Amino acid sequence: MAIAEKPLYYLSIHEAQQLIKDRALSPVELTRAVLDRIAAVDGKLHAYIDLMADKAMAEARAAEAEISRGNWRGAMHGIPVAVKDQLDVEHAPARIRQHTKGVGDATAVKKLREAGAVMMGKLHMSSLPDAALALPRNPWNTDHITGGSSTGSGAAVSGGLCLGSLGEDTAGSIRNPAAFCGIVGLKATYGRVSRHGLAPLSWSLDHCGPMARTVEDVAHMLQAIAGHDAKDPTSSAAPVAEYTSALRDDVKGMVIGVPRDYINECAPRTEPVVLKLVDRAIEKFKSLGARVEEVKVPTLHLATIANAVIYYNEFWAAHKSDAAWVLKNGAAQRRARIYLGLLTGSADYIQAQRVRSRCRAELAEVFHRVDCLALPNQAGPAPLVKDVGPIDTLFKHVVPEYHGPFNLTGLPTLSVPCGFSDNNLPIALQLVGKPFDELTVIRAGYTYQQNTEWHKQRPPI
Amino acid sequence: MDKLIEQSLNALLAREGLEPKAGDLEEFTKIIELYMGNLKTLHSVNLGDEEVAGVFRPEWTAK
Repeated sequence: MAIAEKPLYYLSIHEAQQLIKDRALSPVELTRAVLDRIAAVDGKLHAYIDLMADKAMAEARAAEAEISRGNWRGAMHGIPVAVKDQLDVEHAPARIRQHTKGVGDATAVKKLREAGAVMMGKLHMSSLPDAALALPRNPWNTDHITGGSSTGSGAAVSGGLCLGSLGEDTAGSIRNPAAFCGIVGLKATYGRVSRHGLAPLSWSLDHCGPMARTVEDVAHMLQAIAGHDAKDPTSSAAPVAEYTSALRDDVKGMVIGVPRDYINECAPRTEPVVLKLVDRAIEKFKSLGARVEEVKVPTLHLATIANAVIYYNEFWAAHKSDAAWVLKNGAAQRRARIYLGLLTGSADYIQAQRVRSRCRAELAEVFHRVDCLALPNQAGPAPLVKDVGPIDTLFKHVVPEYHGPFNLTGLPTLSVPCGFSDNNLPIALQLVGKPFDELTVIRAGYTYQQNTEWHKQRPPI
Repeated sequence: MDKLIEQSLNALLAREGLEPKAGDLEEFTKIIELYMGNLKTLHSVNLGDEEVAGVFRPEWTAK
């Protein structure tokens, strides 16, 4: 591929790593191009809250020197990435923590560094205590939101302000901005990526994961950050797969389950364009040789509220010590979560955990017959900034919707762009796999992208 | 806000030595009432006696 075919900042990780490996592209040149892009458009997008330009250039020079000595570490070597504020970075602890100390580099950040990635900086997230920070804007139309809470992660990847980012997902916070910004987001199985160094929202629901412009790219990023971490008691010792082995254009014989009853339950709150484009994507899978089967998961209609109950109760427990400060100075969403967590009794929390068990069992039964699930990702395209109130996200958390059920059950879930609304805003599909079977959702998503063009569209910014 | 919910919340805040931010209870009435209503729905499903929240295992955690 000739470098001149597209701006360097819009190279995919997969394209850039090939060029870097072949020494046709220098990490220094790539990092400089991304910094220039940040200088040109982040004044409109507001994705970064801590840009580490000098450190990034130093890291890029170190990567270049190492690669020129013949020591290419792998796909992430010399690739400019950035991370959601919620993850600690050495000398830049999560601002969202407010009163607890960071740990230096979060494990996922440390692993990216070990893989040779160039750390560009920290990205905005919803509910930061500093209300003076401008909210990120959607690169597809800056009058619209990016979705949250990985707000900056979505805007930065979509707008070419980094090649990949890390997000965090407790009730859709990777998948929602991925969908709204037209990029790919992967919430891997709970325990697959360490939470060490991630400021907690809800210990049993928080998932750290990659956001990038293609399925290939999230596979490369997941490869770098996955694996057991003794510093995270919920980290899994399950073997880490070779995720790039799933990058093959083939879904022949794959059985894709569609939870039609659940989609119908959510349909009154879902815009028709979303349902139409997701159905079209499912038809595409059929045309590529997959078999599509409708499935029933009877307790799924309770999964969103169960997720919210666990979220708010664990949030309250995690923030009991600084609740007075949060109620006085914190963002509206955080204050509301404190009130809701306080109102949640132990019997409510236990009932939510029982629903979680039942839901998992029902899904396990379904996954005996299917390889993955396909369903919508969002209720509609990104709303206008002026139409979104400070706690609107919470309304999504307490009525049946598409994200919470897969935090509750911890299943790997991939968000893949599948079209555009009439006003040219991205729409996405979700693919859900069995526990620790990221390979199947990556294979399905990769095949979809090899046979469609949605992920190749770039925003007009 | 529903009086019972408001009294409960105020009592819980007082127990924790907390005070709501001025205007919050009015501003958050809709989400609080929706949430409390949906909590009832959560309990509407009959999960039987065998569905437990989590399983305690007495062995040491292997690292």
